[in-house]
Amino acid sequence: MNITINEEDGKVRASVCGRVDTTNAEQFLQGVKPLMEIEKPDIEIDCGELEYTSSQGLRVFLMLQKAVSAKKGSMVLTRMRPQVKEVFDITGFSNIIRIV
Amino acid sequence: MKHRFEPLEGRNAEIIESVMGCEEVAGLSEDIRFKIRLCVEEVEENILCYSGSTWVEVEVLRSENSVTVKFSDGGVEFDPLSKEDPDVNAPLEERQIGGLGIFLCKQMMDSVEYRFENHRNEFKMTKRLK
Repeated sequence: MNITINEEDGKVRASVCGRVDTTNAEQFLQGVKPLMEIEKPDIEIDCGELEYTSSQGLRVFLMLQKAVSAKKGSMVLTRMRPQVKEVFDITGFSNIIRIV
Repeated sequence: MKHRFEPLEGRNAEIIESVMGCEEVAGLSEDIRFKIRLCVEEVEENILCYSGSTWVEVEVLRSENSVTVKFSDGGVEFDPLSKEDPDVNAPLEERQIGGLGIFLCKQMMDSVEYRFENHRNEFKMTKRLK
């Protein structure tokens, strides 16, 4: 798992690649911490290279969405692979996290 | 494939890779392999959290039309299927992460079964192959 974050004109673009699972969910959480600390979050996360997430990864996405919503910011996940999308769909996470 | 993992702590990645690498699973479609990986991780994590067992036995069985993964552990009796399903329609503020793993497993597999027998938790999940 690897996460990169870039900021340009107030808009934050991040990308996550590889697998997020029980072995590295904590590392993923630390990786997205800077996104949780943005004052006015306007975040786009490219999930095109995200191969896999278990419920441990969902937990981190949920914490991130809660932090962004608490600041009335916006977050969108893009290019999600169908199998990963299915995990978000089954758990109803697609209803609370914007995926395009 | 049948293998006993003892001790259990910290073996999650090893358990997942041994299932994913075994001949019963190696040749399956990417979609089925994704689901098996996820469900093995979730069940394994559940055993680690709740059963208190120091070991787990993992067995993979393959027939022409299905693949089955069985987990057996010597911990305290715990039926993961007895837990209420999480509310997948709850608004963001009320979302909890607990229970999602086994719920995913129930949704992604074609059958899941639990029984407590001979002082062992036995969990079995089966996926039909297209």
